Amino acid sequence: MSNGTSENTELLTPVPSTPLLSPSRVPIKDLIIYLFVMAGIAFIILRGASEQGYNWQWYRIPKYLFTLEDGSFTLGPLLEGLKITLHITWISMILTYLIGLATALLRLSDSIVGRAVARVYLELARNTPLIVQLFFIYFVVAPVLGIDRLYAAILALSLFEGAYASEIYRAGIVSLPKGQWEASHSLGLTTFDTYRKVILPQAIRRVLPPLTSQTISLIKDSSLVSVIAVYEMTMQANAIVAETFLTFEVYFTIAGIYLFITVFLSQCVSLLERKFKVHN
Amino acid sequence: MAEKELGDYIINVRNISKTFPNGVKALDDFSTNIRRAEVVVVIGPSGSGKSTFLRCLNGLEEIDSGEIIFDGIPLDDNKKNRLKIRRDMGMVFQLFNLFPHMTVLQNVMLAQQLVRKSSTSIAKSVAMELLVKVGIDDKVDSYPSQLSGGQQQRVAIARALAMKPKVMLFDEATSALDPEMIGEVLEVMKTLAREGMTMICVTHELGFAKEVSDWVIFMDEGRIIEGGTAEHFFTNPQEDRTKLFLSQIL
Repeated sequence: MSNGTSENTELLTPVPSTPLLSPSRVPIKDLIIYLFVMAGIAFIILRGASEQGYNWQWYRIPKYLFTLEDGSFTLGPLLEGLKITLHITWISMILTYLIGLATALLRLSDSIVGRAVARVYLELARNTPLIVQLFFIYFVVAPVLGIDRLYAAILALSLFEGAYASEIYRAGIVSLPKGQWEASHSLGLTTFDTYRKVILPQAIRRVLPPLTSQTISLIKDSSLVSVIAVYEMTMQANAIVAETFLTFEVYFTIAGIYLFITVFLSQCVSLLERKFKVHN
Repeated sequence: MAEKELGDYIINVRNISKTFPNGVKALDDFSTNIRRAEVVVVIGPSGSGKSTFLRCLNGLEEIDSGEIIFDGIPLDDNKKNRLKIRRDMGMVFQLFNLFPHMTVLQNVMLAQQLVRKSSTSIAKSVAMELLVKVGIDDKVDSYPSQLSGGQQQRVAIARALAMKPKVMLFDEATSALDPEMIGEVLEVMKTLAREGMTMICVTHELGFAKEVSDWVIFMDEGRIIEGGTAEHFFTNPQEDRTKLFLSQIL
């Protein structure tokens, strides 16, 4: 096979990411277009709000974030909610990764029962709305397990996102050349060691970008747990809006906070990816 | 080649057959025996079942019927037997199949540590010794993608040798290499052959077969058409199909 080598190298070399801005060339034209688009969007929003006679009262927002009185710093309801949001997403994220990996491995296993269990879970979790799953777990499963609403929320989110994560892992695993399995097996490694040392280290590098997207979905989906009255950030926002009618100010504020967290996360993963790519 | 002592039979292959799901019959009632220290070269047209034969020997492909016994251990459904056989049977692939996320040294150390349970220091010294032997000792901290094809294949040989195998299988080890790199890999293989390693090599390198093989097998349609010493084989082939094949590639 004459093209074998190049084919192999191609499979193993990740696609290089294009830098957003080339350091040698400042794309003034692109920047101007970008500013125009942003200005346009801002105009539409402001215009839309003023057409409705909306009365912007941004000055009322800071106290819902935090207050500084006599030198003592107190978190407002939005940031208190953010603490719960971070608590939920942090634990759900770990569980999502674990459930996703376990499901992917079951689906790829030789066990018919294992594959069937994974498949049923996957289809149920992916093909029903998260809100229904939240209610189901909170009202039906949580009383049996004896867990409170916070952990019911964490369980529901982890099971929902874990199904998507499992497909991401699975795609990463099956994308590796068959030769990696064969080389490992021919050296006498067990399937467990082959996964642990050969397959997963490579697969996880490949799936970092889609796994990050899934994590971002998780962070945003965590806002849905307000339906079972977990006082995370969105729930707090709903409460403030109901009380003050500062609809746009409050929702834009929490949108900004979500954006900040997710962009921060993406940047961390980009750094991680760059570190991995050094070897390739 | 120079006379050497061949030992007792280490591999017995009895009447194995293998048909792929697409209906292609890769091995058809195939039998052969291989002695310790013997160098067997398997040649034949593409699709004749050469690679399948090698891959069945260490269980990378399942056989449909027949029996393979390696050093007294049957290759059967028993997972432990399979792992034991693989531990003692090194394999070198056409596309090297090095682990791209590990350095050269880590590639050669991995199985020693996980399978042979060697300590890090022993695994490292064995790996270094072998990398010196295959001439890659100056690249131990490189990653496979930083090496040429010939270098990668030499690392793959060292990786297999690190398990101190009783038999080495070479599956078209030089077919994916640029012509100028074939020689360096063949040199390593010849050295191994001279040192008394039991080797089964699927290859198109007839020079290699002439120089070091004890036995040459010509395969077609999953069967052995003809077998013999290199001398017999290249000067006086008996079967028409062998003659035709040789005339096409010589």
